[in-house]
Amino acid sequence: MTFVLRMAARETRASWRRLLFFFVCIAVGVAAIVALRSVIQSVREVFGSEARGLLAADVLIATNREWPADARTTVDRRLAEAGSTERTETIETPTMVRPADRSKAIAKMAELRAVQSGYPLYGSVVLQGADTYAYSLLQHHGTLVRPELLTALGVQVGDQITIGQAAFTIRGVIASEPGRRVGGFSLGPRVMIDYADLPSTGLLSFGSRADRRLHARVPDDRIDDLVRTLRDDFKDDFINTRSYRSTEDQIGRDFDRAENYLSLVGLIIVILGGIAVSSVTRVFILQKIRSIAVLKCVGARSGQIIAVYILQVMTLGLAGSLLGVAIARGVIAAIPLALGASTSLLAQAHYGVSWSAAAQGIGIGVLVSLLFSVVPLLQVRFIKPSLLLRDETVRRRADWLAIAAIVVVSVALVALTAWQAASLRVGLVVCAGFAGLAVVLHFAGRGLVALLTPLANSRSFPLRHAVLHLSRPGNQTRVILLAVGLGAFFIVGVRSLQASLLSEFSVQVDANSPDMFLLDVQKAQVEGVRAFLGDKSHGAGEFQLIPVMRARVVGVAGRETTLESADDVRRSGMSIGREFTITYRDHLEANERIVEGTFWTSPSAEPEVSVENDLAARAHLHIGDTIRLDILGRTIAAKITSIRDVEWRESRNGGFVFVFRPGVLEQAPQTWVAPMKGPATPAERARFQHDLVERFPNVSVIDFHEILETIRDVMSKVTLAISVVGGLVLFSGALILIGAVAMTKFQRVYEAAVFKTLGANTRTIARMLLLEYGVLGSLAGLIGSLGAIVLTWGVSKYALEIPWRIFAGEHVAGVLLTSVLVAAIGVLSSLDVLRNKPLATLRAE
Amino acid sequence: MIELREVSKTVMSGSEPLTILHPLSLQIPRGEFVAIVGPSGSGKSTLLGLIAGLDAPSGGSVLIDSVDITRLGEDALARLRGEKVGFVFQFFHLIPSLTAYENVAVPMEIAGVADARARAQRLLEEVGLTGRSHHYPSQLSGGEQQRVALARALANDPPIVLADEPTGNLDSANGRHIMELLRGIHDKRATTVVLVTHDRELADMADARLVLRDGRVVENTLEEEREPFRRAMPPR
Repeated sequence: MTFVLRMAARETRASWRRLLFFFVCIAVGVAAIVALRSVIQSVREVFGSEARGLLAADVLIATNREWPADARTTVDRRLAEAGSTERTETIETPTMVRPADRSKAIAKMAELRAVQSGYPLYGSVVLQGADTYAYSLLQHHGTLVRPELLTALGVQVGDQITIGQAAFTIRGVIASEPGRRVGGFSLGPRVMIDYADLPSTGLLSFGSRADRRLHARVPDDRIDDLVRTLRDDFKDDFINTRSYRSTEDQIGRDFDRAENYLSLVGLIIVILGGIAVSSVTRVFILQKIRSIAVLKCVGARSGQIIAVYILQVMTLGLAGSLLGVAIARGVIAAIPLALGASTSLLAQAHYGVSWSAAAQGIGIGVLVSLLFSVVPLLQVRFIKPSLLLRDETVRRRADWLAIAAIVVVSVALVALTAWQAASLRVGLVVCAGFAGLAVVLHFAGRGLVALLTPLANSRSFPLRHAVLHLSRPGNQTRVILLAVGLGAFFIVGVRSLQASLLSEFSVQVDANSPDMFLLDVQKAQVEGVRAFLGDKSHGAGEFQLIPVMRARVVGVAGRETTLESADDVRRSGMSIGREFTITYRDHLEANERIVEGTFWTSPSAEPEVSVENDLAARAHLHIGDTIRLDILGRTIAAKITSIRDVEWRESRNGGFVFVFRPGVLEQAPQTWVAPMKGPATPAERARFQHDLVERFPNVSVIDFHEILETIRDVMSKVTLAISVVGGLVLFSGALILIGAVAMTKFQRVYEAAVFKTLGANTRTIARMLLLEYGVLGSLAGLIGSLGAIVLTWGVSKYALEIPWRIFAGEHVAGVLLTSVLVAAIGVLSSLDVLRNKPLATLRAE
Repeated sequence: MIELREVSKTVMSGSEPLTILHPLSLQIPRGEFVAIVGPSGSGKSTLLGLIAGLDAPSGGSVLIDSVDITRLGEDALARLRGEKVGFVFQFFHLIPSLTAYENVAVPMEIAGVADARARAQRLLEEVGLTGRSHHYPSQLSGGEQQRVALARALANDPPIVLADEPTGNLDSANGRHIMELLRGIHDKRATTVVLVTHDRELADMADARLVLRDGRVVENTLEEEREPFRRAMPPR
């Protein structure tokens, strides 16, 4: 044992420089695991403690309609029964906001929240600067707004803004507020006003999309009962009840998933490091053959020698893991700096490396080092001391012990992955995926090298030898292809997907399609709006005014489907239980096509409805069936007379599941929407929105150009995050490459010396190296790029359901950059091969 | 005592078998200083490797102190070498990552000797390298490296020291120094020394001589020693 410990210490002392990258590989992976896990845990802590703050209540009861009178009575009774001690109400609605100063011709969509004095029951509204939130700031037409609104409207604290028909004075700037989710999509910046001032805006006209919320404080042990009872009470109404606990559970599940998946990404990087470890160990043993033979000659047993190296590997694995934890600490310490003065929840987290993440990282680092080095270390057994007497090559053999070791290592890897992903299935899938990828890359590598074989007969000496080197004994071709190819695959794949998504959105905002959308046009305003839009001086292009109303299926009487009540509909699981936006018209839109039945051309007093194809199929609805819809409290039984196919991708004018025959719904309460082509320039668009809202204060305008900007922004952040991960993978690949080069250097130095003796000059040898690594890089880039094509195809077709596009630029750039990167690293880390004097090298051999 | 019974060695050269050593039998008594001589390729080093258990014979058996080492497994052989055989190579074969002192200490550490440190220092002193114990092989001259190798061979005080062309890679002065050390070791400790060399002059420093040519013994003065009356007879 003393021998093993001493030898391990000596070997580590002697070879730590050569094995430096061994622990850098492990360090990068461990740093990724520890940092990702710790960050998620830190953020989760904020969310966990803020779950009540997210709802600003213990229990939240919400509806997107007017509170039905009897519902209020029920809520009051139930809250009293549950011993609720406090409650407060809010109303949220998207609306247009504009400066009261008429010289500023601009209007912006904002998310208005009207609150009462008790708000918030939990969490707090934080204002920028030294101001503290007080309800009095809102009273008497005061308002608090997000900083983005100030910038967008060119106003400041003290100025007035117009919301609907009323003017409000800005009295503070919101830094953070309860109920705002990180990264949650919003139609515009938050604007807070007093609940009592809301009627003066005139925004709560019929059918407007306002979300009415009742926040209640309830004793902890009564919450679940209350939620259950209220859900039961309101199962047929559009009233939704939830508790902070269900939010917490949902968030908890989301975070578990995020933590496990991100850790998996870290693990993949560690496994890449492990592959590097395996290849280093193999080459290391090759280099140590004589020393091992000497040890055997002086009495050491194979088991003792293997123990020495295993101990050394574990020491290095531990050192690498500790370095990884240190790197993770550094990265995490930098997060608050990166977030700067951001006021989001993310900035409120206390970032630090958690003990559990560090322990897991270290454990994984050491374990992966061990698992990946055991099999190559077993080759020690086949080193014979007799090779000290004459040159003998050590034959790599697979025996039962090696096979058993491979099986044990594979099982351990699956277990490790399953543990990290917290799912055996995911563990198996990831390991199988990795193994599959390795096999594919192995054969792709072999195939591509075989394709290059004719070049081995090339007239160019450097090219000939560069190609020969790719398949020489002890080559690192496969390892480099796997590591670098995987990195290239991640980056090219993600970038292509991003390009694909962006172009998909760009297509949607092309020259002729509608790029603005008016909402909440009241029935009485329809003619006015029509006239406004028709007036060319306002700059609007083509437009259409469409009546819409919200409806819910409350029954079906048909050939196949019979659903008696709304409850039956909800329980049927046929995706008809949700709320639908419906319309009526006498024509088909360009994106619609009748697949069954006939579409009407004239009004009728008999209710008739046309149903979208997919939904009809899912709910087994047929021509002649009767479907009952609750339209704002009125039930209408309509006969299905046609089934339509709708091209949803071009649905700006006609994205409706249910279209009614004119003649019945005209008198029902309804609002109108208008898809339209807005003015061309940003200034004209701002002026148009301003003028429209001046005339029709309750009308909201969605500008697709702005949304596209938001999407672009969100996507660039997501892409950045994924690219960082891809970059880490590529970085690991580069490390593996450097290691592979360093490991085969002893062979190269000797070859270069022989070539030099035979008359090759440094430039020829440099060219040889450049070509070898250039070819290797191109192959890795090509493999990554091909993988990325498959990835984008699969994700486009099955996950995003957008047409598949190939972005040749991304792929060509990917291949080129990978080959340049690999060539540069290869040549730079071989500089001493070029510099060494041949005689010294040859003597040393 | 070392005893070889009908020991032969054949290897495959391409697809053809190549006999390096034809069946040979001999006995080397305890405390003997034997030189194995012969031209390159005559099978000298192979024979030495077989005696040390570094290699397995194709036929016959090798006995060390009546133990048939051809029946031992790799680990048992390693243990036997650790206890009974010290080996000196032409190319020294020191472990480059260890200092002179550590190279000498390794066999004792493997055997679990308690005072390895002191003994290693003593051995280095014995071969005249007191001040060089913390130098790495690359910092030592060829002669010094071979002296370290010699000290390492003596680490566990083995009854047998096998030396494969120990002066082959040294200049004549250093070569002579090594031979004097070997001779001294043999005289002082009564160690059995088997020396492979192609240098007749060095071979003359030994007590007995075994001459090989093409894998066969052509001269064996060991037998003459045992049977003095045969000395007068002409060589076979």
